[in-house]
Amino acid sequence: MEKHNSNRISTIILFVLSLPLFILYFFFFLDVFTVPSTDSIWPESFTLVHWRFLTETLSGKPSIWITTLNTLIFSGCVVAIVLVLSSTAGYALSRLKMPYRSQLLGTLLLLHSFPSVSLLIAIFIILQMIGLYDSLVGVIIIKASLELPFGIWIMKGFYDTVPWEIEMSGVQDGASRFTVWYKLILPQIYPGLAALSIFSFISSWGEYVLPFVLAPSAEQQTLSVYLAGLLSETTAVDYGLLKAVGLFYMLPVMIFYIFTHEKLMNIYGGGGGSKG
Amino acid sequence: MKVKYFLSFFPIIIYSITFAYARDVEIGFWTKNDPIDYRNGSIKMAVMILNEELKIEGADVQVVAKIRSWDGGKAWSNLKQAYSLAMEAGTGPTIILSGHEDIAVWGNSGLIQPIDELLDLDTWPMSNIVESLWGPMSWNGKIWAVPQDAEARLLFFWNKHLAKIGYSESDLEALPDKIASGSYTLYDVLKDAQKMQDQGVVQKGFGFYPRPKKGGDYWQFYRAFDGDMQDSATGKLVLDKQALLAYYQFFHDAVYKYEVTSKNHIGTSWSNWHAAVTSGKAGIWHGGTWQRAEWVDMIGFHSFNENVGFGLMPAGKSGFKPTTLTHPLAYMISRNNDELSQLAARIIAIATEPRINSLHAIKSSHLGITKVQDAQEFYKNNQWPSDTSSLLENAFSLPNNTSFGQYDIAVWNGLTAVWSGRLTPQESVDYITKELNATMGGKVIIK
Amino acid sequence: MKRIPLAYWFLLPAAVSIILFYVLPVILTFVFSFTSMASDTGIYGNHYVYSKNAIRALEKSTLNRDIFKKIIERKYVFDSESLKIISQSKIEKKTQTEIEETLPGTVYSTEKALFEALDKLKNKPRSFRDKKIISRATIRSLNGEEFIEISEMRVAFEKLQIEVGEEDFDLITEVTNTSWHWTTKNYREVFSNPDSWRIFKNTGLYVTLTLGLFNVGCALIIALLTFYMSLGQSKFFRSLWLIPRISPSVLYVLLWRDLMDHSGFISYVMGYFGVAPTNWMGEFPWVTIIVINGFVGASMGMIIFSSAMQAIPKSLLYAASVDGAYMWQQIRRIILPQIRWPILFIASYQTLSLLTSFEYIQLSTDGGPARDTEVWALHAFHTALSNYWGNLRYGFGATLSVVLVVIGIIASITYLKLFKFQVLLQEPPIEN
Repeated sequence: MEKHNSNRISTIILFVLSLPLFILYFFFFLDVFTVPSTDSIWPESFTLVHWRFLTETLSGKPSIWITTLNTLIFSGCVVAIVLVLSSTAGYALSRLKMPYRSQLLGTLLLLHSFPSVSLLIAIFIILQMIGLYDSLVGVIIIKASLELPFGIWIMKGFYDTVPWEIEMSGVQDGASRFTVWYKLILPQIYPGLAALSIFSFISSWGEYVLPFVLAPSAEQQTLSVYLAGLLSETTAVDYGLLKAVGLFYMLPVMIFYIFTHEKLMNIYGGGGGSKG
Repeated sequence: MKVKYFLSFFPIIIYSITFAYARDVEIGFWTKNDPIDYRNGSIKMAVMILNEELKIEGADVQVVAKIRSWDGGKAWSNLKQAYSLAMEAGTGPTIILSGHEDIAVWGNSGLIQPIDELLDLDTWPMSNIVESLWGPMSWNGKIWAVPQDAEARLLFFWNKHLAKIGYSESDLEALPDKIASGSYTLYDVLKDAQKMQDQGVVQKGFGFYPRPKKGGDYWQFYRAFDGDMQDSATGKLVLDKQALLAYYQFFHDAVYKYEVTSKNHIGTSWSNWHAAVTSGKAGIWHGGTWQRAEWVDMIGFHSFNENVGFGLMPAGKSGFKPTTLTHPLAYMISRNNDELSQLAARIIAIATEPRINSLHAIKSSHLGITKVQDAQEFYKNNQWPSDTSSLLENAFSLPNNTSFGQYDIAVWNGLTAVWSGRLTPQESVDYITKELNATMGGKVIIK
Repeated sequence: MKRIPLAYWFLLPAAVSIILFYVLPVILTFVFSFTSMASDTGIYGNHYVYSKNAIRALEKSTLNRDIFKKIIERKYVFDSESLKIISQSKIEKKTQTEIEETLPGTVYSTEKALFEALDKLKNKPRSFRDKKIISRATIRSLNGEEFIEISEMRVAFEKLQIEVGEEDFDLITEVTNTSWHWTTKNYREVFSNPDSWRIFKNTGLYVTLTLGLFNVGCALIIALLTFYMSLGQSKFFRSLWLIPRISPSVLYVLLWRDLMDHSGFISYVMGYFGVAPTNWMGEFPWVTIIVINGFVGASMGMIIFSSAMQAIPKSLLYAASVDGAYMWQQIRRIILPQIRWPILFIASYQTLSLLTSFEYIQLSTDGGPARDTEVWALHAFHTALSNYWGNLRYGFGATLSVVLVVIGIIASITYLKLFKFQVLLQEPPIEN
């Protein structure tokens, strides 16, 4: 009885708290498929005209499909690099003896306090020196490097929760430390890999400033830059189109999320564990 | 017979061989993307003509234009930032079309080269360009760019609304002249706007409806109170405290005394702003000549001519002069190898051709840049506003100075502080003076 | 040979990319903070301009007066030197010959006069380019000239027969060089600008309020409430709160803008209460930026807290449920103490994230009105990379970042002390 009551109260509280989100996204879905009215907040009629960008190339813009492909390549590569490098480095920091371990971990956390945007000029110079300015490859490397400290910390947390017995038995069987890591430990942290891949996918899929500043050519454009380009400095903006492109942009992440969100809830296997 | 037949083809064969061996040279062109202008179109056309010229000259070169337009909510900032970095990396365009104020910054850092080294400005069509437009193209004793367009910024008003507060037909007709003579001032604007609100013609906060975002336009209000921006002897920036105070006081009065502009007006979206001025929701506003093209072509406000009157930006108070800002865009040539620079200069000269320039001027409601356009049927018949000479007579332009951006931000922040009510005009002037002294040291003469 | 421990191999790839693309930029940024680098000085290379400013500076300097006079004097001379250059150029032979026959000895004070003289020739130069070649060959002045290479400038000095000592030459190159120079002025500017303190306070307020109300506060409330819900309901609400995070920022801010505009939903609803429609974003800029950031920021804490709560052993919870004051007691006595660490983790991590974030503010209020909502990171972005008139101050922007980093480091160290950082670092029981 009591439980029932409190359940209802919490639902109501949460509903009120989430009200802005309901309103925001309700009107979003409405606007994407309708003709807006000039004097009312309710639309005039149903339309698919905002979706014309799927079949025709908008003037002054690259094709949406090439842009989408670019974005997929960009995000896919970033996720792959972050996963591989964080899972090795996280293992080293969690399980292997080395000098200055705590200092390294502290430094990684401190790096997070550097606003990546203010590093842009320096990053620009470095990319330019190695010849990767204005290329998607350069942006991939940069984005992945900037994501690494977070990834390493998360992975370290997951490795910390794996029982030492697994490793001990592997070593006693005569396997090398690398084999032990690859065959025995890695399968234990699949949830961590899944969670990290979701995080870095969401983060790179939405990344705007890096591709915009470091790869300005139209051929390299990602969806975030394409979308921002639909805004206008002084003229009226086609908001219906902008929102439709926005929804198109969100779809892959939504699909990705639906398939993986169970894993996301496991992220707290890492990040410090239930110690304390 | 057959031989003769064959021979007649000979030149064509030679011609096509040369053509087949012609090198393609890529010329990059960057500017801001605009749906209703003709900037990219002009360059495409110019390249086409240049290629024909090159063929006829027998040159082994053909130009391929690589056009890139920048867009987004901060298109100008984006373009300038991208150009600055791309040039440092050596991947920038050969020609950049941007505001003339960039000449100082890019000239100083060596990204662009003086155009008077590449083009004889005494030849056609540069020789026909309106003299006053060369001022904004110069910096440091050299001419760095060729103007691409010009415009004026105007005060607009809904005739119907003025009629409702007692303007007769002839009053309305005489208003632009009254503004031009300096007898109708900015404070008269506020009074009329207030009358409109009091009589319920427009809602509160819609009487005077200024530009909703930062922009060069606001310097007109400083000039309207006779403020100087640049010291002609030293080229240094100038801040006239008295004019600045009057400028801030004007907006303070608009918001808090006459209450004809709302406190949170700045930040209104452009879409809403355009909707308000084209629907008659707003009574009096200011904007640029080119905006008429946006209202008519993009928003579908076809009854513009019947409904909306316009004039210069009025003088601040009696005794001062009316103003208008012209902000010509400028073709600049990046520092590059000789061949590219020469080809770029030729492209710019062709694009400046009055007939090509008129396409842009008419399509986007800009003013033509050459004198001869007035005699051209297409331009003359379609030009808006029809009398432009009086506009450019009163026009001023922003100074070409490497520190202008910094100076502009400080003055703008001072204005918005007054607008939102955080500071009084006097406090704000003191604050700005202090800030400019701290951050720009000797670069600004404060008087 | 000693074997390299495995740990280093595991660490190497990550270390290389972090050092090259994260640490090195950090060091460079620190170096740049001591320069005057900007879009008008350029990043690479030197550029020597005899501009009005430079000439005024030379006039006031210790430079030898004779040299100064020679530098500012301007004339176009046909002497043996200039004729030699013309004869080696691509200008047509007949023009060259005519120049050699008629012009030697003449001097012109402006380029215009020179061109007029050239146009009077029977075989006048065919193109503007040719005239410019002659102009460059005959000019005897540095006034208004510019050079990319220092060697070009030396040649010009020789051509003008100006004898300069190394000291004077160094002085001239320094004054005319428009490239950036080393300076500590940036730091002085940060501390002397009255706006710095305001922006600093804004940043503090923004971080504290967003963190307290949303990133931790709201996140905790959602996590707790959904903890007691059925699986379906909790999934729904958690997914709902994740949507802002996966929405592109441009779109997300646009939706808020629509909501708060004159013609938006809030104005519509308020209309029923007799409130005139207005731009709510402009009316309450602070509420705007905190709410917009908060609705995105809450999701991270929500996920971490929820999964931490699920990790609490069920036996602990059942023990408490015997108690009468069911939910509140359970939360206070068992759940909150159990998730103390995640809360601290989120608080510290999000403090740093918020300190360096600016995207949503830029898209909504852009720091306005009058820098009322300008935060430090946005200020750095505006200074270094986004100026309406194209004046980008890379060096000063770097200084602003360095200041922000110092604040970030102080915050992290404080949090690390709270974390009892060493607890997280048990020594591995296996040797390599």
